Parts: sequence; structure tokens; C-alpha cells
Amino acid sequence: MSAHDTETKQGMVSAIKSLITFNKDIPVMPLIIIGLVLAGIGAVTAVVVLVKGHEAMYAVNREVPWGMLIGTYAYFVITSTGLAFIGGLGHAFGFENFAKIGRRIVVLATLVLLAGFTQILMELGHPVRMIIWMMLSPNFAAPILWMGVFYSIELVILALELYYAFKAHPTEKDHKTAAMLGFAAMVVGTLATSNLGFVFGSLTARPWLYGVHFPLFLVVSGITAGAALLMLVHNIAYKFSIPEEYKPSMDALAKLMGGGIGIMMLMYLWKFLTSIFTQPIGSYESAMALIAGPLAANFWIGEMLLAVIIPLVILLTAKGSTKKYGIAGLIFMIGLYFTRVNYIVAGQMPVMRKATDGSGVHADLSGLGIYSPSIAEWGIFLLGIGVAMVLYFSAEKFLDLKTPEHH
Amino acid sequence: MSQKKYGIVLDAKNCLNCKACTVACKFENGVEVGDEQYRIWVAEKDLKGTYPNLRLDFEPSQCQHCENTPCASVCPTSATYKTDEGVVLIDYKKCIICKACMTACPYDARFVSEVHHAIEKCTFCYHRLPEGREPACVETCPTKVRVFGDLNDPNSKAAKLLAKHDTYQLKPEKNTRPRLFYIIK
Repeated sequence: MSAHDTETKQGMVSAIKSLITFNKDIPVMPLIIIGLVLAGIGAVTAVVVLVKGHEAMYAVNREVPWGMLIGTYAYFVITSTGLAFIGGLGHAFGFENFAKIGRRIVVLATLVLLAGFTQILMELGHPVRMIIWMMLSPNFAAPILWMGVFYSIELVILALELYYAFKAHPTEKDHKTAAMLGFAAMVVGTLATSNLGFVFGSLTARPWLYGVHFPLFLVVSGITAGAALLMLVHNIAYKFSIPEEYKPSMDALAKLMGGGIGIMMLMYLWKFLTSIFTQPIGSYESAMALIAGPLAANFWIGEMLLAVIIPLVILLTAKGSTKKYGIAGLIFMIGLYFTRVNYIVAGQMPVMRKATDGSGVHADLSGLGIYSPSIAEWGIFLLGIGVAMVLYFSAEKFLDLKTPEHH
Repeated sequence: MSQKKYGIVLDAKNCLNCKACTVACKFENGVEVGDEQYRIWVAEKDLKGTYPNLRLDFEPSQCQHCENTPCASVCPTSATYKTDEGVVLIDYKKCIICKACMTACPYDARFVSEVHHAIEKCTFCYHRLPEGREPACVETCPTKVRVFGDLNDPNSKAAKLLAKHDTYQLKPEKNTRPRLFYIIK
């Protein structure tokens, strides 16, 4: 090794060491421990699933092949791209209120995306084969291929953004590069999320999922989720007493989240009306499964109450209280999970042929496909939540996530 | 490019619901036991008429080997592909079990195979065709409900039946252009 190499290596080590800190004021150790426990349960579950096989452990079936894990994957990765969108508004479009919290945004977006990858890896039957054959034998018409491409690019852009976010003594050129990266993350993230919507929206066999609704709904609800999660983590980091300097940022996020819920409500209205009016085959059954069928509790309590009504009421009555913003964010993030799983499952519940004798189709008395997540699927869900918690709260504890003034 | 165009013409009114076709398919293709693991099926239609004048029909079916193939369109690794004769097959080693094809198929013709560790479905018994043998379901049927053949060959029995009878296809509104044709009674 030459002297120059040694010097470079030492420089890198000291640069990394300078990044690591211990924020004793940030009370996240209990959350890291909870995250470790959840991730541990999830890891054990993952081992059991790998030994016994997906078919034996998951409750997804011939009629409903996509279930909770696809929903959890969507929950994480769409939130990540929503965060990247907000980061892009700060870096590339000069929204100072978002630029001020740039470090947290890019760290959260990256780690939430990684948590999402745990879900898709445990959902796919052959994740390693995927990497090989997507390169050797790609089908460029397939939305899932582009999903892989866009989210991989998004991860690389976020990694570069991380580098610039934590670079000591950034130059003017670095700021320009960071702005370009922010813009790229915003564009690629939006493409990734809307394309994920197209994974479902391309399915002519599934009328509830087919069409333009979900590509757009996922983008809107993803940005809303990004705002909600940022308000939540700031409240956690600052013990529900956010410093005055971040108040304008939180106000801006609250407006973004409130506006996002408003657009979601508008999209819900027309999605449901077009799915119920004159009872179109397939989408009508899905809509009714949500409104008055097997998914009704998840829909009304989870999706409507927790992800729409309560957070909106809290935001409208918050009167600038950042603590209330945090509570609204927490409730929204819980409700949004139901939103993600509901729409995927509802779309597959109308069976492809009537469940008569000999048809081979399994359906309930109302003729809908049957799905309820297994314990193993809950375990893998905990893996994702645990990984997200451990990674992010460790970052809060051991990195300086306060964006430098000059940014 | 092959000029052959394989398809099946079905005369479902001859179906006895003996399910010999489903058993033959399982044995021929080594399909595992399990009520979700099947390549073909014989569905009971709704009971028609009022007592004592009743009628019960059956609809045997399988992968439709669509010309416009939604399952192949969504497959990210091109594991699902179409042969020159229009038979839709799966290259098991390329299948990542993302299950997009299962959600894309309007006929619920696909399932996860623990034997192949991949998605599986009817292949028209493609391995038998070079030997001049028909698919197992066709060969075993005591009342010859299914007639398999080259629809482009005017001398094939399937092509003749297709010319002679009015037929319907399943879910034409999906524009999949199936290769299974049901004779209208």
C-alpha cells in the first residue's frame, strides 16, 4: 500500500469517525430496543419461512396471491419516495422550510426504503433469481421490471444525497450537486411510486386495481405520508417539544399533509362513486368488500378514521401546536398501513370464476376470495417495522441529523 | 415462424363431469396433491330450469393460451413466453414467483408449484406433441369433449369443428383472444 493510499484511508476513517456522535438529549434508546426485539422476532420468522417455504407459512393463496407483505412493501417504499419528494422541494425548488430539515429527510427516506426491501425479499419466491434474470432476460414491457429499476436508482441517488448531506465543509459546487440530486430523487421517486401503482393499474383482470387511480393515489398518499412521518420523528427526537427554529418547517409539513389528505379524499370520492354507480363488474364487488364486506372494519376504522378523519381534524384544530402535528402524523401512519393492505387485497377478492363445485375456486358465502394474514406474515411485517425503527432511531442517536445552517 | 396454431375446441354438452381429464393431467404432469394445485378443472354451471325439468351443465377449462397474453406481459424476467405455435409456457428456472402473472390472468389458470418451485399451468402437454400425442386431458376423455389440433390446418378435426359450429370464448371482454373455443349448443 502506498503512502498516498494510507493517507486516503486514514482520511476516510477520520471522516466517518467525525460523523459519529452520541446524542444524549435524544430519547430514542427504548425505541431502538423495541425495534431490535421486533426485528429479532421478524428474523426468526424469516428463518422459519426460509426453511419451511412460503407456501406452508403464508396465507396468500390462488385467489388472493398478493397479501400483507406486498402491502407492507408498498407502505415503506411509497413513504420513502414521498420523503424524497419533500426533500426535492427543499433542495431543488428552494422551499427553505424543507431544506432546513434536509438531513433528516434523506436519512429517513433511505432507511425506510431499506426496510421496504426486507418485505419484497421475503415476499418473492426467488429474490436472487430475480437479480440474475431481470438482467439476463428482462421483459421491458413488465411494470415489475421498471419497479426494480426505479427503486434501485432511487437508492443510489439517496446514497449520494446522504454523502452530500453529511459532507464536511461543502462547497458551492456541492450545494449545486445536492440540488440536482434532490431533483433527481424527486423525479425518479415519483416515477417509481406511480409505476408501482401501474403494477396494479395494469391488471385488466382486476377491475378495482386497473386504471389510473392507484398510480396517482400512491404518489399523493406517499407525499402525505412523508410529511406525517417527518412530523412524528421530529416530535420523538425533541420529546414532543420541537424547538422554535423548526416551527415553520412543521407548519409547512402540516399544510402539505392536510392538503394531501384533502386530495386523497377527493380521489376516494370518485374512485368509490365510479366503482359503485351502476355496479360495474369486479370493481363493485371490491368496493362493497371494503364498505360492507370482509374488509369493512379495516376500511372504516383503519383507512377512513385513522388515515383521513382523525388526522385531518387534529390538523385543522391544532392551532400551530407541533405536538398535535406529531400525534396526527402517528395516527395517519397507523391508518395508512390499512390503506395499503386494503386496496391490494380488495382488488383480488372478486374471484376469476364462480366458486361452484369443481371450479377449484375457494370463496366465502358472498362469493369473494378469502385472505387473512398468517402469523408468519405478521412476523415479517414486524421485521420491516423493527428494521426501520432500529436503523432510523440509531441514526438519531449516533449521527447528527441537525441540518447545518449554511444548507 | 411456425404456421401451426394449436388450440382446443370443446363440446361441453358431452361432459359427464367424470373428472378423468383432471386426474390424467395430474398424473401426466406430476402435479402435486392439493386443492389449489391443478392445471385444469371442470366447473359446475348453475342449475337451470325448475323441478322437475332441470339441467346441469359443466364447463371444463384450463389456461386459455391467449394470443394477447396478459400473464407474459407482466412477467419481469420473461419466464412466461409463447412458442411459435402459440402455446404459452413457463421457463421454470427464470420464474421468481412474484405472482404478477397470477394476478394478471383473468382465468385463474396459474398456481405456485412446490414441485417446480415456480408458477405452473397447463402447457397443452407440450412435451407430448413432438411424439404426435395429444394432451392427456384430450386423450383420456371418454366422450371426447376436447378436440385438440392445429387450427391453421383445414384438415385437422379441431379446425373442421371450428368451421362447422358457432363457438364462444371465455371473457371476450378482456380481449385476450383465447385459443379455447366452446361450441354453442
